[in-house]
Amino acid sequence: MTLVLAQITRRQWREHKLRVALTILGVALGVAVFFAIRTTNTTLVDSLHSTIEKLAGKATLQVVAGEAGFTQDHLKTIRATPGVELSEPVTETTATAVSLGNEKLLVLGLDTASDLKIYSDMFDDGGFVVKNPLAFTSRADSIAVSRKFANRFGLKDGDKVNLQTQTGTQDFTIRGFFNSVGVSEVFDGSVAVMDIFAAQDAFGKGNRIDRIDVMNASTVTVDDLQKRLAAQLQSGIRVEKPELRGQSLENSISSMHYALTIMSFLAFIICAFLIFNSFSISLNQRWKEIGVLRSLGVERANVKLMFLAEAVVVGVAGSVIGVVVGYFLARGALRVVLDVTSTVYGFNSSPRALEFNYVFAVEALLVGIAVSLIAAWLPARAAARLDPIAALHNVETQKRESIGGNARIVIGVAFVILGLALTRFSTPAFDGKIQLFYAMFIQVGMILLVPTMIRIGARAIRPVMKMVFGAEGQIAVETLVKTPRRTSSTVGALMVGLAFVLSNGALIYSQKAALSRSLDKAINCDIQVASSQQLQSSAYHFSQATAERVILLPGIDIADVIRVGSIDYGGDTISVLAHDMNAYFAISPDLLDTGDPQTARDMTSRGEGILVSNNFALRWNLKVGDRVTLDTPGGPLELPVVGMLDYFRSEKGTIFLDTSIYRKYWNDTDADYIFINLKPGVDKSVFKRQVFDTLSGNRNAFVYTHEEFKQWVSRLIDQFFSLMYLQMAVAVFVASLGLMNTMIISVDERKRELGIFRAVGGLRRQVVKMVLLEAVAISLIGLAAGTISGVLNAYFLVNTAAKVVAGFTLRFYFPVSIVFAAIPMVIVIAIFSAWLPAIRAARLNVVEAIGCE
Amino acid sequence: MKDQAKPIIKFEGVTKSYGSGETVFALNGVDLDVAQGERVAVMGPSGSGKSTLLNLVCGLDTPTSGSVIFDGTDLADLSDDDRTRLRRQKIGMIFQTFNLLPTLSGVENVGLPLRLNGVRAGEAEKRARAMLERVGLTDLVENRPDEMSGGERQRVAIARALIFDPPILLADEPTGNLDSHTGDEILRLMDDLHNDLNTTILLVTHNEAAAAHCERQITLLDGEIVGDESTSIK
Repeated sequence: MTLVLAQITRRQWREHKLRVALTILGVALGVAVFFAIRTTNTTLVDSLHSTIEKLAGKATLQVVAGEAGFTQDHLKTIRATPGVELSEPVTETTATAVSLGNEKLLVLGLDTASDLKIYSDMFDDGGFVVKNPLAFTSRADSIAVSRKFANRFGLKDGDKVNLQTQTGTQDFTIRGFFNSVGVSEVFDGSVAVMDIFAAQDAFGKGNRIDRIDVMNASTVTVDDLQKRLAAQLQSGIRVEKPELRGQSLENSISSMHYALTIMSFLAFIICAFLIFNSFSISLNQRWKEIGVLRSLGVERANVKLMFLAEAVVVGVAGSVIGVVVGYFLARGALRVVLDVTSTVYGFNSSPRALEFNYVFAVEALLVGIAVSLIAAWLPARAAARLDPIAALHNVETQKRESIGGNARIVIGVAFVILGLALTRFSTPAFDGKIQLFYAMFIQVGMILLVPTMIRIGARAIRPVMKMVFGAEGQIAVETLVKTPRRTSSTVGALMVGLAFVLSNGALIYSQKAALSRSLDKAINCDIQVASSQQLQSSAYHFSQATAERVILLPGIDIADVIRVGSIDYGGDTISVLAHDMNAYFAISPDLLDTGDPQTARDMTSRGEGILVSNNFALRWNLKVGDRVTLDTPGGPLELPVVGMLDYFRSEKGTIFLDTSIYRKYWNDTDADYIFINLKPGVDKSVFKRQVFDTLSGNRNAFVYTHEEFKQWVSRLIDQFFSLMYLQMAVAVFVASLGLMNTMIISVDERKRELGIFRAVGGLRRQVVKMVLLEAVAISLIGLAAGTISGVLNAYFLVNTAAKVVAGFTLRFYFPVSIVFAAIPMVIVIAIFSAWLPAIRAARLNVVEAIGCE
Repeated sequence: MKDQAKPIIKFEGVTKSYGSGETVFALNGVDLDVAQGERVAVMGPSGSGKSTLLNLVCGLDTPTSGSVIFDGTDLADLSDDDRTRLRRQKIGMIFQTFNLLPTLSGVENVGLPLRLNGVRAGEAEKRARAMLERVGLTDLVENRPDEMSGGERQRVAIARALIFDPPILLADEPTGNLDSHTGDEILRLMDDLHNDLNTTILLVTHNEAAAAHCERQITLLDGEIVGDESTSIK
């Protein structure tokens, strides 16, 4: 019997190639997005881990102290600690090679006078070739590059490389080469080595180093040595295993992962609707066939099996295509996320070649099949339950479709309320994955309410359609209301797709609005001078002397020199902003959301208090007056919180303190930003030119007016959300595919109905108009449902994804303008999707359609 | 023939064939005149060309050769839209399988041709209710076809066919799906309508008793008219 049923199914596919193709395409898109996101996420994390591990060479421990680094004095302590076999101080700078088309080059400052055994992969067995070792160490312009880098740019011994340094561009002479293995594998071989003293000097690090790489002796375990070193070194200096540093970076980008994961699940929900729709229609197409099969003795279970087997085949075919498409999608996505991690999070990692992950491929295949089976389950069950007598009878015997009544509404509303309540009262204590269920509850509730929304939407839209489009408009609306199952799956797919687009739009809009507000309050200066275009940069800073040259320029009313650092707090890496607090309050008097401004100004400028960002306060449940202890490189620093403000630099939180305290505890006088308020009458553009003249030669100085800075931040947010924009486009595409599928199938399903319509006097153009209007009506109701669902999902994203995961308290803004902008877009998509089906409907052979078997 | 001077339907050498290899003739050189107000039963075994003849009359199908002239107009001269309008306004059709739209209620099905002609929904509903009353259906008119009996569905189909007071009613086995009692009721209803409105009726049937409701009976066999008799109504 199985063979016969398989043959019948094959014949059906041959008859309805388009339906099958669209269904497979739907599965393929869902799987592609899922596979691409999973592959991208993993490759990104692997890249971060591998970069960090390779940079560590053979080091089993690394001594670090955040952004500002620490002095070399600690090296003695480390080397004197029993169990330390090797230890090497390192400075790390991602420099711009100006003479090589602004290629980024990781410049490691190493003690080239030592044997560098920790990095033996690079330097062993004649790997490190220096013609004149004495000249390399003694001359500050010496640089060695990896052979891969040298080959790429055709560099020879003695060639010059022009690099951007702290004081402007500077020529360096290549005096050595090393193997492209180990450390030098990172950044695709774009690695250079300088003597550490020359590197400190060139990149303005003073006597500070970024880390000390340590290798334990065989007589002591790594864990024991870690404990010993931690005991020897002061608080604020951390001893970490390289692999755990990778984990820490991974945690820092968790919100990006979280957002991507939500997207991949939503892609599957949309995909499930598409499959459900397709199989429902398949059931209707095969109504009579199933009746015949049942009357010939095919059992219910076999009918069900026939449908589910079809789902498996569709699932396999779609998943295989999806995995291939997803692989190529991931290649594009990886470039985007690496840019985001570099610009927004400040982590540079080597873009690893994207590997085809067979485990993920099998996983995607299984998920694709599972979603296909789940989506096909209800239509399969309905097929099995079909009354054979009714099925063999004529079209009029089709029962009025019923998809639940009040119970469905009650359950739907309950799910939505449950999801909203959990979202409202959730705390950061809950894992992000658990919180995904809140969104799921809301979406499931909304899906259950789709038929109700269709009824209400149709009631609202009918008079308008009737008024504008006459009888055809009214009939189109009536048709969609009277076929709730078919309409529900399409409206559902549209709802989920549009909810995704609108809620993410709302999140981005809210984020931008919150940032704009924060920038107006907290960075409200006339001119801002920045040392980097990256939010987090360890490459370039202003030296104290450079900053002083700028703030002595004429026309300045108030200037605030700011250093951006980072510190570990409770396992998170938080930002530390050192301001001249008196000047900062003068520039931004409306800075605080909580706390008395005058008290806060007095206390912070005396170094007797700190300000914290609202997300930090929320994360650690802090109030004004609570005391916070920071483990600084200069020892523990305990200060009270005297004010709170919205600030979005770090997802984990930001602390503001006075420069005097920072310099004392971090022993760091560099600067990253200078906020300047000009005296009345001073022209901003003239002043900007003066700043450029003062910093001439320094290509990493960026001068913004307040408005320009806001625009730059806005572009940065767009970059951060660029993947989401891509996902939004995929969501709309999949939803459109669903609509097209529905309309094609709907025409197919209604062949007889349309034939009758034509037989009783419906003109061809009336048929076209009716089919198009039905699609327009469905899409408008889908848009309305998507807007409601989008608002609810946006509430979840703003409260959970932003607040709980990233700690950002956002004011909720829903972009009503996007909804209005979406109306013509949705209508165009509807007409485009329904055009071909409408033409097919109009060309129906009426005699065949009426008598169709 | 009731009115020799004015045939409302005229077939002139109409042939309808199918197939490109071995040609099958559904109708083969049929000549036929049907006068206004005449009741004609078209009989013959399955495959004799009865339904093809009806489809050609209402313009749903086109002849391979020959002419089908409706009320003086050769249907071949009309566009598809014109044939559709003619069907909507001048030809009522009822089928063995009722062919009601399953998503519309009885009253909506009856009002459908009016609404397609631009009549407002309220007006269409009023006229549809009146027509349903005329065919003896006052209850269940808000129900959808699946909630009606076969006889009720056929009454709805007849009401829909007559909503424009068309001069001609084409009925393809209208009692084929009904029990004998209900079938008889439907035939009597058609008699009443004919008597009241002088509607021309072309009734395709296998059923001798149904055919007996018509003054004229033509018999088709293999696409050709093999019998054309006029009888008195029983």
